[in-house]
Amino acid sequence: MRELNAIQVGDHHYQVDMRGWVCPYPKYAVEGLVRKFDRGRLDLLVDCPSATEDVPKVVKAMGCSVTEINQIGGGEWQIVIMK
Amino acid sequence: MNQVPFRKRAWPLWVGAIALAAANVGMFAFMRAIGVFPQMSMWGAQVYNLLGVKVDAPFTIYPLTPLLLDVHSMINFGIVLGVAAAALLSEEFKLRKEHWTGYVAALAGGALMGFGTVIMPPCNVGGFYSATMALSLSGPLTVLGLLPGAYLGGLLMKWQTQRAVAALDFNAMPKGEPVRARSSSAQPLIGAAVSAVLLAAAGYYASAGLTKHAGLLLFGALFGVIFQRSRLCFTSAFREILISGNGTLMKWVLVSIALGTIGFALLKANGYQPMHFVLPVGVHTVVGAFIFGVGMSLAGGCGIGVLWRSAEGYTRAWVALLAGMMTAGSWVLIYGKHVGEGWLYGKPVSLAQYGGYVGGTAIVFLFLAAFYGFILFVEARKRERA
Repeated sequence: MRELNAIQVGDHHYQVDMRGWVCPYPKYAVEGLVRKFDRGRLDLLVDCPSATEDVPKVVKAMGCSVTEINQIGGGEWQIVIMK
Repeated sequence: MNQVPFRKRAWPLWVGAIALAAANVGMFAFMRAIGVFPQMSMWGAQVYNLLGVKVDAPFTIYPLTPLLLDVHSMINFGIVLGVAAAALLSEEFKLRKEHWTGYVAALAGGALMGFGTVIMPPCNVGGFYSATMALSLSGPLTVLGLLPGAYLGGLLMKWQTQRAVAALDFNAMPKGEPVRARSSSAQPLIGAAVSAVLLAAAGYYASAGLTKHAGLLLFGALFGVIFQRSRLCFTSAFREILISGNGTLMKWVLVSIALGTIGFALLKANGYQPMHFVLPVGVHTVVGAFIFGVGMSLAGGCGIGVLWRSAEGYTRAWVALLAGMMTAGSWVLIYGKHVGEGWLYGKPVSLAQYGGYVGGTAIVFLFLAAFYGFILFVEARKRERA
């Protein structure tokens, strides 16, 4: 089974690395991820361009917010989700 | 939010939809409409012949031809170069490796698309988008297969994602250092170089008297840029209607088809290539479209989608592309005849048979309105449940 690579960066601050997961995987995953973590900050790392548009839409529809989308390399982004 | 420079900003969907329709009408007026898989199935047949297995290309109008001399393949090469240039200029290129399960999915998805393209025929963009514009009865019918097929493929992907998310435990995560942003890349420079190669290749063909080759190469690149910048993904358009209850992409695709249909009908009504992209129609249309639909979801893109992602550096798309062309390229060995011949295929039917080009266009618009209405219904149901 394919597993998600995730770490705790700090207090209520997590990073889930979905680089290597093509679209639409990040969009499908974020709903469950946002539901699962209680509160704080979740950095979702993605490398498919569409995720930078799709993921924020799903997050907003769930009543949470995307505060930053940072390009961290060629074809790689960090989406900062706050709950 | 950080200010994003223009070259990195995605184009609005409406811009992509209008540009795509204009490009398709323009390329039809120049020579032919968009469609990429029949050429790739010819590439597959070429590989078999190189390996010593004698097999004819599955589509008779795309005969075995050296790739760099094949006028239709220019569209594919143009798409690859156009996408690569656009992705590099916007710093979205990356050599993306996959988990082994992704390569298995790509292999299966590519093979299904390969079979789908010769049974339907041809691919999602050619068989649905261009064929509907061209007033082929087969075009609207492909939806009956592509929609459930893409849904099934999407369900598999969603199930895989949900399992991975379920296995995460936020209370027992290892501690680690966050990923840091890397400094600026050389991608825009390489993108400029790819653009120069594209223009030089088009210039070379034109100077050799092969103006159709040069033209289709440039049109292909235009399509590549439009797809890459507007992210108008047809696979996503079909898949997300039923998976997410979101039909935004498909609604813009339908608007694009409506605009293009007017252009195609005007050209055809004036006697220009009246049977262009009018394709065989029958049960095979729906069956082939279903197989293709499942395949494109698993592969992560339809024919154009895998060309596009290949040029963005997705190795999963490379596998799908190879699997698709090798499967479709073997069709004459498997079936014994070409696409469109024999018991499997019906006859091509033009909607212009029903009330001329005005009547045919009206039928296409009725279909588009019905499909649009269906999407609105699905979206309303989704909102009710939320």
